[in-house]
Amino acid sequence: MAVNAESQVPAATPATSSLAIEVRGLTKHFGSVLAVDHLDFSVQPGSVTGFLGPNGAGKTTTLRMLVGLVTPSSGEALVNGVAYRDLDDPLRTVGAVLEATGFHPSRTARQHLRSVARVADIPDARVAEVLEMVGLAGDGDRRVGGYSLGMRQRLQLAQALLGEPEVLILDEPANGLDPQGIAWIRNFLRWYASLGRIVLVSSHLLAEAAQTVDDVLVLASGHIVGQGPLQSLLSGVTGSVRVRTPEADRLVDVLAAAGIAASQDSPGLVVATGTSAEVVGPIMAEHRIVVHEMTTSGESLEQLFFAMTEGSGLGGFSATPGDATS
Amino acid sequence: MIRLLRAEMVKVRSLWSTWVLIGAGALLASGFGTLIGFAPHRRRGLSAILFPPHGTAAWFDDLFSAMSIAQTLALVIGVLAITTEYRHKTVTSTYLAEPHRGRVVEAKLVVSAGWGAATAVAAGAACLVLGFSVVAAGIGTSNVMLTEFRHVFPGVFLAAMLFAVYGVGLGALLRNQVLALVVGIGFTAIIEPIIVGIFPTQGEYLPGQAAQALESVTASARNFGSSGITHLLPWWGGGLMLITYGVVFSIAGSLTTMRADIS
Repeated sequence: MAVNAESQVPAATPATSSLAIEVRGLTKHFGSVLAVDHLDFSVQPGSVTGFLGPNGAGKTTTLRMLVGLVTPSSGEALVNGVAYRDLDDPLRTVGAVLEATGFHPSRTARQHLRSVARVADIPDARVAEVLEMVGLAGDGDRRVGGYSLGMRQRLQLAQALLGEPEVLILDEPANGLDPQGIAWIRNFLRWYASLGRIVLVSSHLLAEAAQTVDDVLVLASGHIVGQGPLQSLLSGVTGSVRVRTPEADRLVDVLAAAGIAASQDSPGLVVATGTSAEVVGPIMAEHRIVVHEMTTSGESLEQLFFAMTEGSGLGGFSATPGDATS
Repeated sequence: MIRLLRAEMVKVRSLWSTWVLIGAGALLASGFGTLIGFAPHRRRGLSAILFPPHGTAAWFDDLFSAMSIAQTLALVIGVLAITTEYRHKTVTSTYLAEPHRGRVVEAKLVVSAGWGAATAVAAGAACLVLGFSVVAAGIGTSNVMLTEFRHVFPGVFLAAMLFAVYGVGLGALLRNQVLALVVGIGFTAIIEPIIVGIFPTQGEYLPGQAAQALESVTASARNFGSSGITHLLPWWGGGLMLITYGVVFSIAGSLTTMRADIS
């Protein structure tokens, strides 16, 4: 796998207090099961990093080790150069959205947030602010027991934002959200990263992740099997491009001349295979071909994903404890 | 630490179970007090010898012994302080906010002691209302009644406070809510009396007996009513024993069950 080891950032030194997540040799056994196996990666600020992998890959376990809830069997997971438990002010450094459970049903959202906020001396005004941010302002004084899954997910996010953290870690944040909610969180994460902060978000939903993340870490069976900017990973993958154009015949010829396999599926619809929009687009522009519609097959990330995760020996422990934790 | 204490205060205050337990303390204390004082069978035969006449100091003393129900409810408050966190997975946010788990337990020990004391205050207040009602009905004098209240209440207050501490220890060690409650209440109510029956001297170190000792901080020796001669530690010894149970169990819990992964 070309993207594997080389793309780790080599220059980062633990001594600097610069904003970063560093994971070195991180390993976790649950009994005889190896859930996470010598992970090495780093996450830099300013972009949304997707932590992708099938269920059971070890994503949740890794994220929980980052925030000190799960103790690594060996290796270390550092935030800004130190382990989570050694952070001076954990809530203002890291905000974590881990699961949509974790609320006492008889507490209101506001009471729950206050109980967390007190620990870091965060004022009640900030509690009201984060409830507003996630769209729960009107429901803040209702008991969480009556909340929908989506509302609980929002409340998790509100809790993570209490300390305006520099690092945001989210485990499957789209779970339980409706389409508007998913779109909202996508925009929110992009905005948050644009402030120069770290956003690390796990997902097993590739189509969703593809729209949100800039960089990816692909995990399978406890190993990193792919790492780097999403675009550069995808550029290595061949997909298919469908173009609706009044000049279908000319497009087929032009593409053929460029060495791209293309055919006219139906009148006015050209399908080019083994290529990408990034390749087809410029060719069409160059030849001034009128385009009514262009779509790429949404499978490209999926194909990449399957290619990466298949080769990693899933056989040993396919669907076992890695995500017993999720 | 102050911040953690405030966080724990918010948690306990915002649980309806806390207020139910405190309310139950008041209701049960006045209910049992009424039963003890006015149970109809008491006037005849052996009862007439064992149980003092209405309105006497000893009778008020018996009546007020009902407030020691606060001790059991305080134990429940202490147990819940930790076990609800695991049951409802709020430990996740608790440990995210304070990754040093031992400090969380320390804060819970302190805050639960306060809520245990509050339970005793509620039960005491209810008994006081009962006492004044009885006096108003022409039984005994308020002077005698208040003197006996002052004898009984301080011990119950301390016992409830420290039983909450003991409860936190049990919760930290066992982590499972049902298990910790069954062990905590079951031991004191069922197993401990059996042990005490067989080994009266050694039994004085057990939690229930330690609380009993604590309740004699001001009350006269007959505060254990009918049981006759019992071996009890001095009141401060009982207090030390309960603190020891709470702290030792908390430390043991912090070193074992509470270090487990939160997943």
